[in-house]
Amino acid sequence: MSTKTKTSTKTSRRTFLSTSASATLGFTIVPSSVMASPAPSDRLNLGHIGIGGRGRRFLRPLAALDQKVVPWENLGGQGDRFLRPALSTALCDADSSRLDMAATAVGGRPRLYKDFRRLLEQKDLDAVVIASPDHWHALMMIMACQAGKDVYVEKPASKTVEEGRAMVTAAERYGRVVQVGSQGRSQDPAYHANKYISNGQIGTVRKVLCWHYENPVGDWTPDAEAPEGLNFDNWIGPARRISYNEKRTHGRFRWMLDFGGGQIRDRGAHVMSVANWIMKADYKGPVSVEATGQPHHDGMYDSPQHMTVTYEFKDPDWTLVWAQPGVPSEEMEARYGAVYWGDTGRLTVTYGDRHFTDTEQQAKDYKSPHGGVEVFRSPGHFENFEDCIKSRDKPIMHIESAHRVATLCILGNISYRLRRKLDWDSVNEQVRNDQEANRLLSRPGRGPWHL
Amino acid sequence: MTSSETSSLLARSVATAAVLAAATKGRAAEKEDKFLAEISSDDPDVRFAAWDIAAEMDTAVIPALSKLLVAEDPGVRKAAAEALNNIVHSVGKEVNPAGLRANAGRPNNPGESDKRQQVVGKLLEVLAGSGDHAEKVAALRHLSLLATTDDVLAIAKFVADPKLREEAVFSLERIPGKTSEEALLAALPDAAEDFKPRILAALGHRRAEEAISACLDAMKSPDATIAMAGMKAAARIGAKTGGQVKLPDYDSLSEWQKTEYTDSMLRYADAQVEQGNTEDVLPIYQAALQRDEGHWQCAAIIGLAKVGTAEAAAAIFPKLESDDNTVRITAQKAWVAMSNASKISGG
Repeated sequence: MSTKTKTSTKTSRRTFLSTSASATLGFTIVPSSVMASPAPSDRLNLGHIGIGGRGRRFLRPLAALDQKVVPWENLGGQGDRFLRPALSTALCDADSSRLDMAATAVGGRPRLYKDFRRLLEQKDLDAVVIASPDHWHALMMIMACQAGKDVYVEKPASKTVEEGRAMVTAAERYGRVVQVGSQGRSQDPAYHANKYISNGQIGTVRKVLCWHYENPVGDWTPDAEAPEGLNFDNWIGPARRISYNEKRTHGRFRWMLDFGGGQIRDRGAHVMSVANWIMKADYKGPVSVEATGQPHHDGMYDSPQHMTVTYEFKDPDWTLVWAQPGVPSEEMEARYGAVYWGDTGRLTVTYGDRHFTDTEQQAKDYKSPHGGVEVFRSPGHFENFEDCIKSRDKPIMHIESAHRVATLCILGNISYRLRRKLDWDSVNEQVRNDQEANRLLSRPGRGPWHL
Repeated sequence: MTSSETSSLLARSVATAAVLAAATKGRAAEKEDKFLAEISSDDPDVRFAAWDIAAEMDTAVIPALSKLLVAEDPGVRKAAAEALNNIVHSVGKEVNPAGLRANAGRPNNPGESDKRQQVVGKLLEVLAGSGDHAEKVAALRHLSLLATTDDVLAIAKFVADPKLREEAVFSLERIPGKTSEEALLAALPDAAEDFKPRILAALGHRRAEEAISACLDAMKSPDATIAMAGMKAAARIGAKTGGQVKLPDYDSLSEWQKTEYTDSMLRYADAQVEQGNTEDVLPIYQAALQRDEGHWQCAAIIGLAKVGTAEAAAAIFPKLESDDNTVRITAQKAWVAMSNASKISGG
């Protein structure tokens, strides 16, 4: 493999020697003009993989191409920007009814695919939006990077710890911009809360207590033939083979541990994303994870009805708790969120029923002093992605941070399943002295689908 | 005491022990029957109470529980599945260094490994039995979490079973140790052509260095799917191949296979750099730099920056003026990174 690359080098010996000589003179001779960045073409051609309930919200129709498009409020932002001109030129879904619906919504003649690899082969796409079921996120994102696309992929980033690390490696290998759809960080209340806490307004935070309502039961529904138009084998992809059941497919896969992983993965990827951001833990992990829970005694779903997961962090020392249902905040009415406990005060950051973050008024009113801690204020989750496509900087929810959050969610479920505490080595991403837990950190693929 | 008295006493003791053993066995059987009846109950709460304490049950219940995985009542199927999960997970925290049978009885948690072996034994019994397909699939899934090198051969037999081969490879892929890699490797020559890519993927995922020559052989296949599976696995294993290697015929590949081909070349190069073998990688990166697609150039730039030699810098240098925004910025960042590394190392 080392000697026969198919594409021959075209660099002439003269060019090579001259550049080589320049290089040996040192790294500082590059003129500053070289470092300037001319703007690329301003219109984005978008491909979409997975265009169900969530995915269709990202579609950019032909009819709006010449209009100023206001960002979707759900994705945060300060409301002072329009989105870059963009057109959805390629659509892919395993379900043709969804594909047809999306094609109609987009208008014009978008190219339609049932195999996402064909979409990724399209050379004229600047970026892809992946809103497939969770068990597909990693492979699709990695393959999109291999195909040279920048990626907006929905949360949670991955299904296993190994997948998450492979996603980080793929983004790095190809220098791709990857934004993960934990948009809470791009919503103003999270910014205000981060600024407030980072400037010491509640002292040193020692505990973050998240609460969230419970997982659903899922009445027994018999397995059936997959509906015409749904390529169910493609829908399952790398996951374990199961029979088709409407209560396990579109949107409902998330209540099964082997597919979605329940609220801790679905909404934990929001609430704990904001916690990790505020607690500066984007490149860190806990030292231990301990979960207890109560399953539904009956019904189709195996994600726990109730669960409590305690994560201990070191250097600095703090505790993160996922309590499902836990006790809602006394300060603010919301179905889920987190209370940040400092040694001189506390602050609540919520996610409401309409999926927006909010925080208490004192944080919103807070003005950081001259010389105080500055916190990045996202212009909006998709606008931040657009900016990074140009600048090649890391977005606010870059893939490493999303992998770290997904790891929290995954470890919580593993500890629940195994009924024991996990001693986590966050550097090597391994559980200490627990062979079974380590085997659950990865999952062999199925058929042709492998990392 | 006379010898006949001694014999008589001994006989009475043996008889008493036998009665006690029978009674204990009887009580155990009774407990198992009660447990299985509760798992099969119409009442979800009764079923839950049983599955919740399943780990306390003797491993003898495993075959009967497995049969309940295909019960008519879905609630019973669920209870049986959860009970099996609990039994498996209760013995899964292997504390033996190698997880071998020879080490049983010497862990930090005395007795755990012995019970683990009993659980594995019962799962293998289900696998080899005449039960339903779903029972065997569940057994293989559980074995993927518990089995050790001692159990590999019993599992590897099922790679030849068309209905169970996917699950058997899944199981082997998860079992640590060289034995499972050897079993996968041994299954490769006789595997159906359409299944060879699956085994190669498992070997690649395992980074099985012993499989490198099998991967290189697969790359010679006239079947592009097998050839590319060999190339992908070899790249993931990342071991230095040495000598001339016959790569798949690029022009005969599909568009996506061409992407996988270049990705594999770059993965291989990155793996070499990581291992400190930088001498062979420059042609790979330089070839990628000549491609029209920006992301191949970016990957080459990022790889070359890790090589960090003057030759690598020379290869990156022209890209500092690339018309491609992404390539140019990637080159600039790589240049700065190399500059910083150079300053740090005093170069």
